[in-house]
Amino acid sequence: MLKRHGHETVLAGLVVIALLVMSFQSAQFLTTGNMLNQGRLMAEVALVALAMTFVIVSGGIDLSVGSTMGLCAILTGVLWQNMGLPLGVVLAIIPIIGLICGLFNGFLIIRVGMPPLIATLGTLALYRGLAEGISQARSVRGYPEWFAGIGQGSILGLPTQIWILGVALVLAGVILGLTRWGRTVQAIGYSEPAAHFAGLPVNATKYAVYAVSGLAASLAAILFVSRVSTTRSDMGTGLELDVITAVVLGGTSIFGGRGTIIGTALGLVLVQVLKNGLSLAGVRGDGTLVLIGVVLVLTLVAGAFMENRVRR
Amino acid sequence: MTIAQTPPPAGGPALSVRDISKSFGPVKALKTANLDLRAGEVHALMGENGAGKSTLVKILAGMHAPSGGAILVDGVQTALPSPRRAAEAGIAVVHQELLLFGELTVAENVFAGHYPRKGGMVDWAFMRRRAQELLADLDCHDLDVDRKLGSLSVAMRQRVEIARALNHNARVLILDEPTAALGERDADRLLEIVLRLRARGVAILYVSHRMNEIFRISDRMSVLRDGTYIATRNARETTEAELISLMVGRPVDQMFPKTEVPIGGPVLEVRGLSCGPMVKDASFTLHKGEILGIAGLVGSGRTELAHVLFGVTPAASGTIHLNGREIRIASPRAARDAGIAYVPEDRGAQGLVKPLPIRENISMAVLDRISPGGMINRAKEAALAKRGFDMLGVRASGPEQIAGQLSGGNQQKVVIAKWLQTNPSVLILDEPTRGIDVGAKAEIHRLICELAGQGLAILMISSELPEVLAMSDRVMVIAEGRIRATLSRDEATPEAVGHAMTARRSAS
Amino acid sequence: MIGSTTLPPSGTGAVRRFLREYGHEILVALAILALLVGVGLYNPRFVSARNLTTIFSGNAYIAVAAIGMTMVIVIREIDLSVGALIGVLATISGTLAVSGAPIWVAWTVPIIAGAAINAISGILVAYARIPSIVVTLGMMAILQGGLITATGGTWISNLPPEYLLAKMTVLGLPMPLVWAIALTIAAGLWMRLSPFGRSLYLIGGNAEAARAVGIEVPRRIVAVFMIHGAFAGLATLLFATQLQVIQSTTPPNLELIVITSAVIGGVSILGGTGTVFGSSLAAVLFATIGSALIFVNVSAYWLRAFIGTLILLTVMADMLRRKRTMKGA
Repeated sequence: MLKRHGHETVLAGLVVIALLVMSFQSAQFLTTGNMLNQGRLMAEVALVALAMTFVIVSGGIDLSVGSTMGLCAILTGVLWQNMGLPLGVVLAIIPIIGLICGLFNGFLIIRVGMPPLIATLGTLALYRGLAEGISQARSVRGYPEWFAGIGQGSILGLPTQIWILGVALVLAGVILGLTRWGRTVQAIGYSEPAAHFAGLPVNATKYAVYAVSGLAASLAAILFVSRVSTTRSDMGTGLELDVITAVVLGGTSIFGGRGTIIGTALGLVLVQVLKNGLSLAGVRGDGTLVLIGVVLVLTLVAGAFMENRVRR
Repeated sequence: MTIAQTPPPAGGPALSVRDISKSFGPVKALKTANLDLRAGEVHALMGENGAGKSTLVKILAGMHAPSGGAILVDGVQTALPSPRRAAEAGIAVVHQELLLFGELTVAENVFAGHYPRKGGMVDWAFMRRRAQELLADLDCHDLDVDRKLGSLSVAMRQRVEIARALNHNARVLILDEPTAALGERDADRLLEIVLRLRARGVAILYVSHRMNEIFRISDRMSVLRDGTYIATRNARETTEAELISLMVGRPVDQMFPKTEVPIGGPVLEVRGLSCGPMVKDASFTLHKGEILGIAGLVGSGRTELAHVLFGVTPAASGTIHLNGREIRIASPRAARDAGIAYVPEDRGAQGLVKPLPIRENISMAVLDRISPGGMINRAKEAALAKRGFDMLGVRASGPEQIAGQLSGGNQQKVVIAKWLQTNPSVLILDEPTRGIDVGAKAEIHRLICELAGQGLAILMISSELPEVLAMSDRVMVIAEGRIRATLSRDEATPEAVGHAMTARRSAS
Repeated sequence: MIGSTTLPPSGTGAVRRFLREYGHEILVALAILALLVGVGLYNPRFVSARNLTTIFSGNAYIAVAAIGMTMVIVIREIDLSVGALIGVLATISGTLAVSGAPIWVAWTVPIIAGAAINAISGILVAYARIPSIVVTLGMMAILQGGLITATGGTWISNLPPEYLLAKMTVLGLPMPLVWAIALTIAAGLWMRLSPFGRSLYLIGGNAEAARAVGIEVPRRIVAVFMIHGAFAGLATLLFATQLQVIQSTTPPNLELIVITSAVIGGVSILGGTGTVFGSSLAAVLFATIGSALIFVNVSAYWLRAFIGTLILLTVMADMLRRKRTMKGA
């Protein structure tokens, strides 16, 4: 257990230490209200990070998630306010848009054969450009109350996001850890030719991975728009960096193959605890960024040395 | 340990290797390698796969540091800590995998890393002119040195790499399997070049498997076995048989435990199968319980044929019948579902997912069967892995051991175990014993015979002729993408196969 | 198979070689020219001296930053932290300038600091063997966060006028333009003519083969990251001295703009090909498109969508070309 999940164990320890330190630093930190609110705030990043775990485990990367989120957010506003579609219908269309964005990434990577890094760098610009072009930098406000309920309301005393996150977390964990599909993603990430030669459906699986990533970004967009009751074309800018940081921090190998959902969850929690705790302790917002960067690099260096040892 | 022959008085050796050893972690790739290379001789370095030839070549190229022993250049002990030092010592290597730069021009490839300078800057004009001269010297008078290297044929690229070696005025030239990927004609031209360089006094170390070639150009041969120097022979005083027994370490026929198996009806019928330039109009029939060997040189189209049958590169035309039913094979998945299994040539990259445990490798091709509703049934998987593990006698701590940590032979058993889970009716084996040590080889051979005995129809590709001849019920010879001959077990002598392999097409 | 029969007379050989070697760069230059002529005919104010100065001079720093990025991509690495680095260097430089340090110190420190900071990334990439994309992702977070933590995002004002390099002119030409041209030519020739410069193409083209011909790959990787950092420092000088004030934040998306310049300029993300001429021209093409959109009354908000499409098309063309070269045997 410890041997195969050493990274997760270390990370869990770090989370506990961070929680302890932060709760000594500020009385507000370890309160139910604060904790639930943090859960609400991290929902969008978390949702996308869960999907990104699959992408990175499969040996790819998706830099376009922030832009996909921005495009979906803008389209929510435009379809509802400018085109006059009922908001309920719009909420059904947006996930499809997200899927299409993801499938187009898949097309560029699988069919055209572009390296994932550059293909999604291109669509990062393209999707954001579409969002900016369509919106012309106008924001949309005045969403009905029931819609705000998704991002601001609670169910049984817990923020809606906590429920969504809980379900997504369990689902992702089960899929990656226990299903045939999860095993296929992992095999592809370790060795695409070997997976292909074993008769696994490599291309279909990779398409699905990118489609899910786009879908998660579109759901994050709905949550975000609902939470802040407004849409702007710059929504989700830089999301990809937060997401990739959490996933890599969680022990998923950037080379593909190795990675767990538990790890990603711990990575997300650690980032959020540091952000929140430090800001409560009076450290200016971006001081946490330094810490996160340092933790990320140290994790990688430690990982690199561990791997070297294993290889020998 | 055998002592190297004392070199004859005709000048000291240009290069001497004294008790060189090399370990990679716990693996001893070389134990005691010895070699004397004289100026103006072609010296063949021979040995089975895994004997340590490539390791020795890499050490002489300055790419690996030896763990022990000494290298003498012109009698002076010389360290070769880097490729640059090796080049400065006058040693040039033409690597098997041609270490070149596809996106750069021919001229630049000749000089890469050792640019001619004028005022500190790269002298492009001189570089282009000199590259032209060097290549003209190698019978490439018309080659446009401004072309991108990636657009040249393999034979041309190889000549560019030889030109690079000549540019250093190398006194020692090492050629690692230079004809492995060449056609007959290109190979002939290469041998002429080698002989011409010998006449100029270059000492040439020639690593090759091809016996006829070695006897044609070599003055002496040295044999390595299991990382140990065995013997050196003069070409005129030895025979092919002697060299083989030196390489193998025992009489050849003891190695292959071929058992007679009754051969049943046709299982796989292939008619007029074509795909690209490497598979042309292939027709053959494979029977139940039969081992059909495929002999051919690297690049002859043998692996490509396997890839068509397994759906990696689906056929452009032709028909395939399996057990009397016509099937289309568009992907490895379709091949698997039809009952065809393929143990690929490149075990490390295609056969196994090395970082995963043995269990997950064995279950990989039958995941559908053990995951109803998408969820993997762990108990079933473990049972299935255990069965495969035990049946093939994989030597490891258990099915949970990481596949990449196993020896070559045991890795191969895991790949075969994986495919046996699919209950195939046809098993294609591509180089089943490549890079596997001698003991494990015999085990794999026994296993293949057993499987044939159980009624599996087996297609076995191998570049080791003795293996093909000893194991096969029939031998199919492939050259330039075509099946040139199909020989019965009795007809298949080394001479007959060699003749079919190299005979030029009568039509063109 | 061998091109002897199609070989033209030797007089045109040099021209042909040039066309073959710089086909992509010429294409980018022609695109700029076509835009200038086309949009200029539609709206002559587009080619007014003032607008051209804005296009070329105002974006010169991107071309300069793209020079270093080109080298990084040629050796098959990437740097996501260059935007944050330029932000940090601008603040360092501005702080020095207002604190009364000699102007030459305010000008040289960012160059040295850029090289020093990037040396860390380079070492992690070359020796710890961590992929550059994650190393520089981490560096980006550290630099961005560190900058705002240290300064609180304040503005540096009251910059001494003699510090404002970007506002100076040489022979009537704006300084940034002169710098960008001079640095591009110098770096381009250096990559073409120096053994060090050529070795970058060897590393990016085939690292294993580069090692076999005696190049010390890890050391070169660190060196390239440092040179790239120094160019980021030079870019900083042109970027930070455009206005009277320096904002202590990182310019948003700058790293993507710089990477995109290189990619559109023909620097293959697969390593081993591309020149700084291409990436500098592409930086200009970028700026020209941005400005042209305004002059043909297309909202500038569509700019990024154009750029995205351009990246994808360029890379697709590169993939096709590579496939053809490899098949052309």
